[in-house]
Amino acid sequence: MLNALWIVLLGMAIIFAVLGILLLVMILLGKLLKPREKQEKKG
Amino acid sequence: MATGEFLGFLNLSWEAVAMLVISGVLMWLGIAKKVEPVLLVPIGFGCMLANIPLGGAAEAGGFLAVLREAGIKTELFPLLIFIGIGAMIDFEPFLQRPYTIFLGAAAQFGIFATFILAYFLGDGWLQVLDFSLKDAAAIGIIGSADGPTSIYVATTLQSKYTAAIVVAAYSYMALVPIIQPPIIKAMCSKKERALKMPSVAGTISQRTKILFPIITVLVVGLLAPKATPLIGCLMFGNLLRACGVVERLSLAAQNELANIVTILLGITVGGMMAGTEFLRPESIFVFMLGIVAFSLDTVAGVLLGKLMSVLSGRKINPMIGACGISAFPMSSRVVQKLGLEANPYNHLLMHAAGANVAGQIASVVAGGVMLMLVPMFI
Repeated sequence: MLNALWIVLLGMAIIFAVLGILLLVMILLGKLLKPREKQEKKG
Repeated sequence: MATGEFLGFLNLSWEAVAMLVISGVLMWLGIAKKVEPVLLVPIGFGCMLANIPLGGAAEAGGFLAVLREAGIKTELFPLLIFIGIGAMIDFEPFLQRPYTIFLGAAAQFGIFATFILAYFLGDGWLQVLDFSLKDAAAIGIIGSADGPTSIYVATTLQSKYTAAIVVAAYSYMALVPIIQPPIIKAMCSKKERALKMPSVAGTISQRTKILFPIITVLVVGLLAPKATPLIGCLMFGNLLRACGVVERLSLAAQNELANIVTILLGITVGGMMAGTEFLRPESIFVFMLGIVAFSLDTVAGVLLGKLMSVLSGRKINPMIGACGISAFPMSSRVVQKLGLEANPYNHLLMHAAGANVAGQIASVVAGGVMLMLVPMFI
Protein backbone atom coordinates (compact mmCIF):
# COMPACT_ATOMS: atom_id res chain seq x y z
CA MET A 1 0.00 0.00 0.00
CA LEU A 2 2.93 2.28 0.75
CA ASN A 3 4.11 1.70 -2.83
CA ALA A 4 0.77 2.94 -4.13
CA LEU A 5 0.97 6.06 -1.96
CA TRP A 6 4.41 6.81 -3.38
CA ILE A 7 3.05 6.41 -6.91
CA VAL A 8 0.27 8.91 -6.14
CA LEU A 9 2.60 11.48 -4.60
CA LEU A 10 5.34 11.14 -7.20
CA GLY A 11 2.81 10.93 -10.05
CA MET A 12 1.07 14.21 -9.24
CA ALA A 13 4.41 15.91 -8.54
CA ILE A 14 5.87 14.78 -11.88
CA ILE A 15 2.76 15.86 -13.81
CA PHE A 16 2.86 19.37 -12.31
CA ALA A 17 6.63 19.56 -12.83
CA VAL A 18 6.53 18.43 -16.49
CA LEU A 19 3.63 20.72 -17.37
CA GLY A 20 5.15 23.60 -15.39
CA ILE A 21 8.38 23.27 -17.36
CA LEU A 22 6.40 23.12 -20.60
CA LEU A 23 4.59 26.33 -19.60
CA LEU A 24 7.90 27.99 -18.77
CA VAL A 25 9.39 26.99 -22.13
CA MET A 26 6.29 28.28 -23.95
CA ILE A 27 6.47 31.62 -22.10
CA LEU A 28 10.17 31.97 -22.92
CA LEU A 29 9.50 31.07 -26.53
CA GLY A 30 6.70 33.64 -26.68
CA LYS A 31 9.04 36.31 -25.36
CA LEU A 32 11.71 35.35 -27.88
CA LEU A 33 9.32 35.31 -30.81
CA LYS A 34 7.40 38.52 -30.09
CA PRO A 35 10.18 41.03 -30.93
CA ARG A 36 10.91 39.19 -34.20
CA GLU A 37 7.26 39.18 -35.17
CA LYS A 38 6.91 42.89 -34.38
CA GLN A 39 9.99 43.59 -36.52
CA GLU A 40 8.58 41.51 -39.38
CA LYS A 41 5.27 43.44 -39.20
CA LYS A 42 7.12 46.80 -39.28
CA GLY A 43 9.25 45.59 -42.19
CA MET B 1 -21.56 -35.07 -36.18
CA ALA B 2 -23.90 -34.08 -33.31
CA THR B 3 -26.21 -31.12 -33.94
CA GLY B 4 -24.70 -29.40 -30.89
CA GLU B 5 -21.40 -29.13 -32.72
CA PHE B 6 -22.67 -26.91 -35.51
CA LEU B 7 -25.85 -25.24 -34.24
CA GLY B 8 -24.88 -22.09 -32.38
CA PHE B 9 -28.05 -21.64 -30.33
CA LEU B 10 -27.63 -25.08 -28.75
CA ASN B 11 -24.36 -23.82 -27.28
CA LEU B 12 -25.67 -20.56 -25.83
CA SER B 13 -24.47 -20.03 -22.27
CA TRP B 14 -26.03 -17.48 -19.89
CA GLU B 15 -22.88 -15.37 -20.27
CA ALA B 16 -23.27 -15.29 -24.05
CA VAL B 17 -26.96 -14.35 -23.77
CA ALA B 18 -26.17 -11.57 -21.29
CA MET B 19 -23.45 -10.20 -23.56
CA LEU B 20 -25.74 -10.35 -26.60
CA VAL B 21 -28.23 -8.24 -24.62
CA ILE B 22 -25.44 -5.83 -23.63
CA SER B 23 -24.33 -5.57 -27.27
CA GLY B 24 -27.92 -4.72 -28.19
CA VAL B 25 -28.03 -2.02 -25.50
CA LEU B 26 -24.75 -0.52 -26.74
CA MET B 27 -26.02 -0.39 -30.34
CA TRP B 28 -29.37 1.04 -29.16
CA LEU B 29 -27.58 3.75 -27.17
CA GLY B 30 -25.49 4.63 -30.20
CA ILE B 31 -28.21 4.50 -32.86
CA ALA B 32 -31.41 5.53 -31.06
CA LYS B 33 -29.98 7.80 -28.35
CA LYS B 34 -27.00 9.10 -30.37
CA VAL B 35 -24.63 8.46 -27.42
CA GLU B 36 -21.10 8.34 -28.91
CA PRO B 37 -22.47 6.44 -31.96
CA VAL B 38 -19.08 6.46 -33.70
CA LEU B 39 -17.77 4.20 -30.95
CA LEU B 40 -20.75 2.43 -29.45
CA VAL B 41 -22.07 1.07 -32.77
CA PRO B 42 -18.79 -0.71 -33.71
CA ILE B 43 -18.19 -1.79 -30.09
CA GLY B 44 -21.74 -3.17 -29.79
CA PHE B 45 -21.44 -5.01 -33.10
CA GLY B 46 -18.03 -6.45 -32.22
CA CYS B 47 -19.44 -7.59 -28.87
CA MET B 48 -22.30 -9.35 -30.67
CA LEU B 49 -19.88 -11.13 -33.04
CA ALA B 50 -17.66 -12.25 -30.17
CA ASN B 51 -20.55 -13.85 -28.29
CA ILE B 52 -22.12 -15.94 -31.01
CA PRO B 53 -21.30 -19.53 -30.02
CA LEU B 54 -19.14 -21.46 -32.52
CA GLY B 55 -18.77 -18.26 -34.56
CA GLY B 56 -15.07 -18.16 -33.81
CA ALA B 57 -14.69 -14.46 -34.67
CA ALA B 58 -12.87 -13.68 -31.42
CA GLU B 59 -11.16 -17.04 -30.96
CA ALA B 60 -7.57 -17.76 -32.01
CA GLY B 61 -7.32 -17.24 -35.76
CA GLY B 62 -10.66 -15.40 -35.99
CA PHE B 63 -10.60 -11.96 -37.56
CA LEU B 64 -11.32 -10.13 -34.29
CA ALA B 65 -8.50 -12.01 -32.58
CA VAL B 66 -6.17 -11.12 -35.46
CA LEU B 67 -7.16 -7.44 -35.15
CA ARG B 68 -6.60 -7.60 -31.39
CA GLU B 69 -3.12 -9.03 -31.86
CA ALA B 70 -2.23 -6.56 -34.60
CA GLY B 71 -3.79 -3.38 -33.31
CA ILE B 72 -4.37 -3.54 -29.57
CA LYS B 73 -1.57 -5.74 -28.25
CA THR B 74 0.94 -3.83 -30.34
CA GLU B 75 -0.66 -0.53 -29.12
CA LEU B 76 -0.92 0.55 -32.76
CA PHE B 77 -4.61 1.54 -32.93
CA PRO B 78 -4.64 4.03 -30.01
CA LEU B 79 -1.49 5.67 -31.37
CA LEU B 80 -2.91 5.98 -34.90
CA ILE B 81 -6.13 7.42 -33.44
CA PHE B 82 -4.00 10.01 -31.64
CA ILE B 83 -2.55 11.24 -34.96
CA GLY B 84 -6.13 11.90 -36.08
CA ILE B 85 -7.09 13.57 -32.79
CA GLY B 86 -3.98 15.77 -32.92
CA ALA B 87 -4.91 16.89 -36.43
CA MET B 88 -8.43 17.74 -35.23
CA ILE B 89 -7.43 19.84 -32.20
CA ASP B 90 -6.83 23.56 -32.44
CA PHE B 91 -4.52 24.45 -29.54
CA GLU B 92 -5.03 28.20 -29.99
CA PRO B 93 -7.45 28.61 -27.02
CA PHE B 94 -4.83 26.96 -24.82
CA LEU B 95 -1.89 28.92 -26.25
CA GLN B 96 -3.82 32.13 -25.52
CA ARG B 97 -4.31 31.00 -21.90
CA PRO B 98 -1.25 28.87 -21.09
CA TYR B 99 -1.97 29.02 -17.33
CA THR B 100 -4.80 26.52 -17.97
CA ILE B 101 -2.14 23.79 -18.16
CA PHE B 102 -2.30 23.65 -14.34
CA LEU B 103 -6.04 23.03 -14.45
CA GLY B 104 -5.28 20.08 -16.73
CA ALA B 105 -2.68 18.83 -14.25
CA ALA B 106 -5.01 19.14 -11.25
CA ALA B 107 -7.83 17.32 -13.02
CA GLN B 108 -5.66 14.21 -13.29
CA PHE B 109 -5.99 13.69 -9.53
CA GLY B 110 -8.95 11.37 -10.10
CA ILE B 111 -6.61 8.92 -11.87
CA PHE B 112 -4.36 8.58 -8.85
CA ALA B 113 -7.15 8.63 -6.24
CA THR B 114 -9.01 5.88 -8.10
CA PHE B 115 -5.78 3.93 -8.52
CA ILE B 116 -5.19 3.90 -4.78
CA LEU B 117 -8.83 3.01 -4.09
CA ALA B 118 -8.70 0.08 -6.54
CA TYR B 119 -5.44 -1.14 -5.06
CA PHE B 120 -6.91 -0.81 -1.55
CA LEU B 121 -9.84 -3.04 -2.57
CA GLY B 122 -7.48 -5.46 -4.32
CA ASP B 123 -4.03 -6.78 -3.53
CA GLY B 124 -3.00 -3.69 -1.54
CA TRP B 125 -5.17 -4.20 1.55
CA LEU B 126 -8.66 -5.74 1.57
CA GLN B 127 -8.03 -8.35 -1.16
CA VAL B 128 -11.78 -8.63 -1.88
CA LEU B 129 -11.18 -8.07 -5.60
CA ASP B 130 -8.56 -9.47 -7.96
CA PHE B 131 -6.85 -6.11 -8.60
CA SER B 132 -3.05 -6.16 -8.83
CA LEU B 133 -0.99 -2.95 -8.77
CA LYS B 134 -0.98 -2.99 -12.59
CA ASP B 135 -4.75 -3.55 -12.77
CA ALA B 136 -5.33 -0.70 -10.29
CA ALA B 137 -3.18 1.64 -12.39
CA ALA B 138 -5.04 0.65 -15.55
CA ILE B 139 -8.40 1.22 -13.82
CA GLY B 140 -7.26 4.60 -12.51
CA ILE B 141 -6.38 5.70 -16.02
CA ILE B 142 -10.12 5.69 -16.88
CA GLY B 143 -9.88 9.10 -15.19
CA SER B 144 -7.76 10.37 -18.07
CA ALA B 145 -11.16 10.69 -19.80
CA ASP B 146 -9.37 9.74 -22.96
CA GLY B 147 -10.10 6.48 -24.79
CA PRO B 148 -6.80 5.97 -26.62
CA THR B 149 -4.75 6.72 -23.47
CA SER B 150 -6.87 4.23 -21.50
CA ILE B 151 -6.33 1.53 -24.14
CA TYR B 152 -2.62 2.26 -24.41
CA VAL B 153 -1.96 2.18 -20.66
CA ALA B 154 -4.22 -0.82 -19.93
CA THR B 155 -2.61 -2.81 -22.77
CA THR B 156 0.94 -1.86 -21.87
CA LEU B 157 0.32 -2.84 -18.25
CA GLN B 158 -1.30 -6.09 -19.49
CA SER B 159 -4.38 -5.62 -17.33
CA LYS B 160 -6.95 -8.42 -17.22
CA TYR B 161 -9.70 -5.81 -17.40
CA THR B 162 -8.69 -3.98 -20.57
CA ALA B 163 -12.08 -4.49 -22.26
CA ALA B 164 -14.06 -3.26 -19.24
CA ILE B 165 -11.68 -0.31 -18.80
CA VAL B 166 -12.03 0.75 -22.43
CA VAL B 167 -15.82 0.45 -22.46
CA ALA B 168 -16.04 2.35 -19.15
CA ALA B 169 -13.73 5.12 -20.43
CA TYR B 170 -15.72 5.67 -23.62
CA SER B 171 -19.10 5.35 -21.89
CA TYR B 172 -18.27 7.92 -19.21
CA MET B 173 -16.83 10.31 -21.80
CA ALA B 174 -20.25 10.24 -23.44
CA LEU B 175 -21.84 10.78 -20.02
CA VAL B 176 -19.76 13.86 -19.13
CA PRO B 177 -22.81 16.15 -19.66
CA ILE B 178 -24.62 14.12 -16.98
CA ILE B 179 -21.71 13.49 -14.56
CA GLN B 180 -20.16 16.97 -14.36
CA PRO B 181 -23.03 19.51 -13.92
CA PRO B 182 -24.23 18.34 -10.46
CA ILE B 183 -20.65 18.32 -9.15
CA ILE B 184 -19.89 21.78 -10.57
CA LYS B 185 -23.18 23.18 -9.25
CA ALA B 186 -22.50 21.72 -5.80
CA MET B 187 -19.04 23.29 -5.72
CA CYS B 188 -19.68 26.69 -7.35
CA SER B 189 -22.29 29.20 -6.21
CA LYS B 190 -24.49 30.91 -8.81
CA LYS B 191 -22.38 34.05 -8.37
CA GLU B 192 -19.23 32.08 -9.20
CA ARG B 193 -20.86 30.40 -12.21
CA ALA B 194 -22.00 33.79 -13.49
CA LEU B 195 -18.45 35.20 -13.32
CA LYS B 196 -17.46 36.57 -16.73
CA MET B 197 -13.90 36.16 -17.93
CA PRO B 198 -12.15 38.92 -19.89
CA SER B 199 -11.62 38.05 -23.55
CA VAL B 200 -8.05 37.42 -24.66
CA ALA B 201 -6.63 40.01 -27.02
CA GLY B 202 -4.57 39.02 -30.06
CA THR B 203 -4.05 35.82 -31.99
CA ILE B 204 -1.31 33.24 -31.86
CA SER B 205 1.28 33.46 -34.62
CA GLN B 206 1.74 30.66 -37.14
CA ARG B 207 5.33 30.24 -35.95
CA THR B 208 4.21 29.58 -32.36
CA LYS B 209 1.58 27.11 -33.55
CA ILE B 210 4.26 25.19 -35.49
CA LEU B 211 6.82 25.25 -32.69
CA PHE B 212 4.31 24.24 -30.01
CA PRO B 213 3.92 20.54 -30.99
CA ILE B 214 7.66 20.14 -31.54
CA ILE B 215 8.59 21.71 -28.21
CA THR B 216 5.87 19.79 -26.35
CA VAL B 217 7.22 16.46 -27.64
CA LEU B 218 10.77 17.41 -26.69
CA VAL B 219 9.87 18.64 -23.19
CA VAL B 220 7.42 15.85 -22.32
CA GLY B 221 9.49 13.15 -24.05
CA LEU B 222 12.72 14.12 -22.31
CA LEU B 223 11.10 14.41 -18.87
CA ALA B 224 8.56 11.57 -19.04
CA PRO B 225 9.88 9.29 -21.81
CA LYS B 226 7.14 6.67 -21.43
CA ALA B 227 4.65 9.26 -22.68
CA THR B 228 6.63 9.74 -25.92
CA PRO B 229 4.56 7.46 -28.22
CA LEU B 230 1.27 9.06 -27.09
CA ILE B 231 2.37 12.69 -27.03
CA GLY B 232 4.45 12.08 -30.17
CA CYS B 233 1.48 10.87 -32.23
CA LEU B 234 -0.84 13.56 -30.82
CA MET B 235 1.61 16.33 -31.64
CA PHE B 236 2.58 14.84 -35.02
CA GLY B 237 -1.07 15.08 -36.03
CA ASN B 238 -1.17 18.64 -34.72
CA LEU B 239 1.97 19.60 -36.62
CA LEU B 240 0.36 18.35 -39.85
CA ARG B 241 -2.51 20.76 -39.13
CA ALA B 242 -0.43 23.71 -37.90
CA CYS B 243 2.37 23.78 -40.46
CA GLY B 244 -0.04 24.61 -43.29
CA VAL B 245 2.00 22.94 -46.04
CA VAL B 246 0.56 19.41 -45.88
CA GLU B 247 -3.15 20.12 -45.90
CA ARG B 248 -3.81 16.85 -47.74
CA LEU B 249 -2.10 14.83 -44.99
CA SER B 250 -3.84 16.83 -42.26
CA LEU B 251 -7.24 16.15 -43.82
CA ALA B 252 -6.36 12.47 -44.31
CA ALA B 253 -5.39 12.20 -40.62
CA GLN B 254 -8.60 13.95 -39.50
CA ASN B 255 -10.89 11.94 -41.76
CA GLU B 256 -9.68 8.77 -43.47
CA LEU B 257 -7.11 7.66 -40.87
CA ALA B 258 -9.26 8.54 -37.85
CA ASN B 259 -12.36 6.95 -39.36
CA ILE B 260 -10.71 3.72 -40.48
CA VAL B 261 -8.91 3.20 -37.19
CA THR B 262 -12.08 4.06 -35.23
CA ILE B 263 -13.95 1.30 -37.09
CA LEU B 264 -11.16 -1.23 -36.47
CA LEU B 265 -10.62 -0.15 -32.86
CA GLY B 266 -14.33 -0.16 -32.04
CA ILE B 267 -15.06 -3.58 -33.46
CA THR B 268 -11.89 -5.02 -31.89
CA VAL B 269 -12.74 -3.64 -28.44
CA GLY B 270 -16.22 -5.11 -28.83
CA GLY B 271 -14.57 -8.39 -29.77
CA MET B 272 -12.74 -8.35 -26.43
CA MET B 273 -16.07 -8.50 -24.58
CA ALA B 274 -16.49 -12.28 -24.56
CA GLY B 275 -18.95 -13.20 -21.79
CA THR B 276 -16.70 -15.62 -19.93
CA GLU B 277 -13.98 -12.97 -19.58
CA PHE B 278 -16.15 -9.86 -19.23
CA LEU B 279 -18.88 -10.96 -16.82
CA ARG B 280 -16.97 -10.96 -13.54
CA PRO B 281 -17.72 -9.00 -10.35
CA GLU B 282 -14.51 -7.08 -10.97
CA SER B 283 -15.90 -5.66 -14.24
CA ILE B 284 -18.79 -4.07 -12.32
CA PHE B 285 -16.27 -2.54 -9.90
CA VAL B 286 -14.23 -1.25 -12.85
CA PHE B 287 -17.34 0.64 -13.97
CA MET B 288 -18.02 1.95 -10.46
CA LEU B 289 -14.42 3.07 -10.02
CA GLY B 290 -14.56 4.75 -13.43
CA ILE B 291 -17.28 7.11 -12.31
CA VAL B 292 -15.32 7.82 -9.12
CA ALA B 293 -12.33 8.77 -11.30
CA PHE B 294 -14.36 11.15 -13.47
CA SER B 295 -15.99 12.75 -10.41
CA LEU B 296 -12.73 13.27 -8.51
CA ASP B 297 -11.10 14.71 -11.64
CA THR B 298 -13.88 17.28 -11.78
CA VAL B 299 -13.64 18.08 -8.06
CA ALA B 300 -9.86 18.57 -8.22
CA GLY B 301 -10.08 20.73 -11.36
CA VAL B 302 -12.77 22.99 -9.87
CA LEU B 303 -10.83 23.31 -6.58
CA LEU B 304 -7.73 24.55 -8.42
CA GLY B 305 -10.03 26.76 -10.53
CA LYS B 306 -11.32 28.32 -7.31
CA LEU B 307 -7.79 28.93 -6.07
CA MET B 308 -6.76 30.49 -9.38
CA SER B 309 -9.93 32.60 -9.34
CA VAL B 310 -9.02 34.05 -5.93
CA LEU B 311 -5.37 34.59 -6.89
CA SER B 312 -6.34 36.32 -10.15
CA GLY B 313 -8.75 38.72 -8.42
CA ARG B 314 -11.87 36.93 -9.71
CA LYS B 315 -10.80 37.07 -13.35
CA ILE B 316 -11.03 33.30 -13.77
CA ASN B 317 -14.32 31.43 -13.56
CA PRO B 318 -13.62 28.40 -11.34
CA MET B 319 -15.89 26.21 -13.47
CA ILE B 320 -13.31 26.04 -16.26
CA GLY B 321 -11.22 23.87 -13.91
CA ALA B 322 -13.69 21.06 -14.60
CA CYS B 323 -12.57 21.07 -18.25
CA GLY B 324 -9.07 19.97 -17.25
CA ILE B 325 -10.58 16.48 -17.27
CA SER B 326 -9.88 16.24 -21.03
CA ALA B 327 -13.03 14.65 -22.61
CA PHE B 328 -12.73 17.18 -25.42
CA PRO B 329 -15.04 18.93 -26.35
CA MET B 330 -17.86 17.67 -24.11
CA SER B 331 -16.71 19.28 -20.86
CA SER B 332 -16.18 22.68 -22.58
CA ARG B 333 -19.78 22.56 -23.74
CA VAL B 334 -20.96 21.66 -20.22
CA VAL B 335 -19.19 24.70 -18.74
CA GLN B 336 -20.44 27.00 -21.51
CA LYS B 337 -24.01 25.83 -20.83
CA LEU B 338 -23.72 26.27 -17.06
CA GLY B 339 -22.19 29.72 -17.54
CA LEU B 340 -25.06 30.81 -19.79
CA GLU B 341 -27.63 29.42 -17.34
CA ALA B 342 -26.19 31.58 -14.56
CA ASN B 343 -25.70 34.67 -16.73
CA PRO B 344 -27.10 34.87 -20.29
CA TYR B 345 -24.13 37.06 -21.34
CA ASN B 346 -21.46 34.77 -19.94
CA HIS B 347 -19.71 33.03 -22.86
CA LEU B 348 -17.01 30.77 -21.46
CA LEU B 349 -16.56 28.38 -24.39
CA MET B 350 -13.09 29.50 -25.55
CA HIS B 351 -11.76 29.76 -21.99
CA ALA B 352 -13.15 26.30 -21.24
CA ALA B 353 -11.69 24.94 -24.51
CA GLY B 354 -8.25 26.20 -23.40
CA ALA B 355 -8.47 24.16 -20.20
CA ASN B 356 -9.95 21.27 -22.12
CA VAL B 357 -7.06 20.88 -24.60
CA ALA B 358 -4.62 21.46 -21.72
CA GLY B 359 -6.35 18.49 -20.09
CA GLN B 360 -5.71 16.46 -23.23
CA ILE B 361 -1.95 17.06 -22.91
CA ALA B 362 -2.04 16.48 -19.13
CA SER B 363 -3.90 13.17 -19.48
CA VAL B 364 -1.28 11.88 -21.92
CA VAL B 365 1.47 12.91 -19.49
CA ALA B 366 -0.43 11.21 -16.66
CA GLY B 367 -0.60 8.00 -18.73
CA GLY B 368 3.15 8.15 -19.35
CA VAL B 369 3.86 8.85 -15.69
CA MET B 370 1.77 5.86 -14.64
CA LEU B 371 3.66 3.63 -17.10
CA MET B 372 6.93 4.97 -15.73
CA LEU B 373 6.13 4.62 -12.01
CA VAL B 374 4.18 1.36 -11.74
CA PRO B 375 7.00 -0.97 -12.92
CA MET B 376 9.38 0.82 -10.53
CA PHE B 377 7.26 -0.17 -7.52
CA ILE B 378 6.48 -3.79 -8.38
